[in-house]
Amino acid sequence: MSEFVPKADGIAVMKVEKTVGPWREAWNGFKKSKVAVVGMCIVLFFILLAIFGPLIAQEGINDQVLKDRLLPPSSEYWLGTDDLGRDILSRIIYGARISLWVGFFSVIGSVVVGSALGIIAGYYGRWVDTIISRIFDIMLAFPSILLAIAIVSVLGPNLRNALIAIAVINVPNFGRLIRSKVLSIKEDEYITAAKGIGMKDARILVSHILPNSMAPVIVQGTLAIATAILEAAALGFLGLGAQAPMPEWGKMLADSKDFLHSAPWTMIFPGLAIMLTVLGFNLMGDGLRDALDPKMKS
Amino acid sequence: MSKKKLGSFALLLLLILSTALAACSSDTGDGKTEGGKTADGENVKDILVFGRGGDSTSLDPSRVTEGESFKVTVNLYETLLNFGEQDTTINPGLATEWEPSEDGLTYTFKLREGVKFHDGTDFNADAVVKNFERWANGDAEKFPYYNSMFGGFKGDEGHVIDSVTADGDNTVIIKLTRPQAPFLKNIAMSMFAIASPTAFEKGDDEFERNPVGTGPFKFVEWKPNETITIEKFDDYWDEGLPKLKKIIFRSIPDNSARLNALMAGDIELADGINPSDGKAVEDNDKLQLFERPSMNVGYLGLTVTRPPFDKVEVRQAINHAIDKQSIIDSFFEGRADIAKNPMPTSISGYNEDIEGYEYNPEKAKELLKAAGLEDGFEMELWAMPVPRPYMPDGKKVAEVIQKNLADVGITAKIVSHEWATYLELASKGDADAFMLGWTGDNGDADNFLYVLLDEDNIGSNNYTYYKNDKLHDILIAAQTEVDEDKRNELYKEAQEIIHADAPWVPLAHSTPLLGGAKDLTGFLPHPTGSDLLSNVEFK
Repeated sequence: MSEFVPKADGIAVMKVEKTVGPWREAWNGFKKSKVAVVGMCIVLFFILLAIFGPLIAQEGINDQVLKDRLLPPSSEYWLGTDDLGRDILSRIIYGARISLWVGFFSVIGSVVVGSALGIIAGYYGRWVDTIISRIFDIMLAFPSILLAIAIVSVLGPNLRNALIAIAVINVPNFGRLIRSKVLSIKEDEYITAAKGIGMKDARILVSHILPNSMAPVIVQGTLAIATAILEAAALGFLGLGAQAPMPEWGKMLADSKDFLHSAPWTMIFPGLAIMLTVLGFNLMGDGLRDALDPKMKS
Repeated sequence: MSKKKLGSFALLLLLILSTALAACSSDTGDGKTEGGKTADGENVKDILVFGRGGDSTSLDPSRVTEGESFKVTVNLYETLLNFGEQDTTINPGLATEWEPSEDGLTYTFKLREGVKFHDGTDFNADAVVKNFERWANGDAEKFPYYNSMFGGFKGDEGHVIDSVTADGDNTVIIKLTRPQAPFLKNIAMSMFAIASPTAFEKGDDEFERNPVGTGPFKFVEWKPNETITIEKFDDYWDEGLPKLKKIIFRSIPDNSARLNALMAGDIELADGINPSDGKAVEDNDKLQLFERPSMNVGYLGLTVTRPPFDKVEVRQAINHAIDKQSIIDSFFEGRADIAKNPMPTSISGYNEDIEGYEYNPEKAKELLKAAGLEDGFEMELWAMPVPRPYMPDGKKVAEVIQKNLADVGITAKIVSHEWATYLELASKGDADAFMLGWTGDNGDADNFLYVLLDEDNIGSNNYTYYKNDKLHDILIAAQTEVDEDKRNELYKEAQEIIHADAPWVPLAHSTPLLGGAKDLTGFLPHPTGSDLLSNVEFK
């Protein structure tokens, strides 16, 4: 067919293909999915909220106005007040900080540790692989929230330990993901070439294998932030995460469960906040997967 | 091929295993519903499910000081004397007559005849003596309440009971070393219930799981943290009682979950109704609301052995820092009085004249400055994990206190443990400040002031480790004083000392609420919190 295409056009097509790098291409793919963009907007909204929250939230998050307890949403308290007379809106805004903080950093923690272990396991194989993979298997054998509860119980209940626990339980997911990716990449010709010219293992790992196995990690990472936020909320709900008076969303839910009938807004808004953030990350993660996964390309 | 076979075999095994497991779980499920009420609840409703906040810690009442245990044991055992239906007057129990001597040192009890323990053992003077012997030979660890009420054990200097002897089969004579004004009330407390000697001689740990008394109900089974089941004792001496066939005490720690269970008809009687839910129960035409006559105090204890709480200024500062009125308005819905003394107003000897520490953060800061702590300090604030009658939502109130303390520069970290651990650690003095409360067990000032704040009770019920020799002398003098007016004067003086030393922040005297099914009759909530259920039935 190409033979019949006018030359000028052919050049133009060539040019476009040249200027579009893999990331740009991914972005173009991502943009096409409206749902993913919506997800990203939600995520951005919450990130901005977390960063600029203190400017918006005028009320002190821990100011208790006991005479104003359990007030429904009004012009004074946009989302109502909780059972200690605290402004729910301010608390949700500050809560965004906590939740995103836990989400990002626990995932970064598990990505770093998981990638390191996964690459080592995948690249060196043999007994190193066996040991690391079996450890992952053992960890995956526990329901993740149970493992998190166990870790927090050992370390003591507070937000930092909840973050550590969530990071730990997600390590095997990333580890296995990277390991499988490495297993396929290390058979590729360019790796053989790199070995052929005498490149050191460390350099091969860092400059060839790591960057080439990152795409699935980014997808998984975005989705994992969503689960991490949920897990942090679950731990907070169980009293094992953030401690009073921190405005952590899960803890806010736990605090308000007694008022389900009499003051549903104390429960609805933190619940909505959790739902929206998690939804945002999930939509964005799906979009990223579609954009980054070569198999999904049509 | 063989691998494939192995795979399918594993799959099959898995299937079998999961079926077996599923069967197991449905078994326990059935057990529960049967235990619930459907079994033969259709024709005559004679099984009561009583929902409450926590499990008992022991079914041997002499070994605990905690209300959830007495709630069950009061129905399993009986005491020599009983309290009135809704007060703490003295009435006949296992003893039909009693006679103090002129000097107040000897008491003669005539015992009820024809009474049997659930295990068939005869109830007689010998059994009573054996029970008292058992307690007197124990130690504070084992029988904390005996220690608190009778000033120690055999051989101790303060021990009040000199001897307990049987005179024939049906007479018991108790000799005291010194007169004890609240002695008869003490004897009527549910922890001094007479248990079957044959049962407790088998060993204390065995006995507390398999209690045997003379009460209207006998023990059936105990599923820890779930249910305690007791059933009608057919040979009960009082003909026609009890009216119910079976009672199941079910632990539902969450107040609103318990209310939901009541509304759904899963339970027929619910303890610990949130003050904020009182209205909802009253408005519900299938339910009725019970008010328990108030005889309690909820407080924040300050462990005086732990710096900086060893400084009286710090303790007073905390008293000034806490906004009690707001706490009562917000969490008790007005069904509580602000507390200024360690005992409720209804008890004789209450000191009306004491002026409570008013809410005044500025004054608190001044006091902290005087103690050299103007920059504040960090502390642990312990909040009880379970709703208690004197404190419907400890953790929430703790958050208010935390904020109050933050306002005067004190950083408090809220700490909570599982209930039994909480009590144990707090009693060892491990908490800086702990929330706790007390429901009077015999309606005497002694049962509050001496039991909770005297140096004799450090390690048993005095969790603050507060020690004041002058107070001790007064409290002992008050125990011995038989003249009511003089006795009240002594207690008033004692409250002044306690007020000045401020080992507590007294918070509230609440009116605990219960909810019940509309067709429930004969239920009279007792101020001590232990309700005898033998007259309860469904109409």
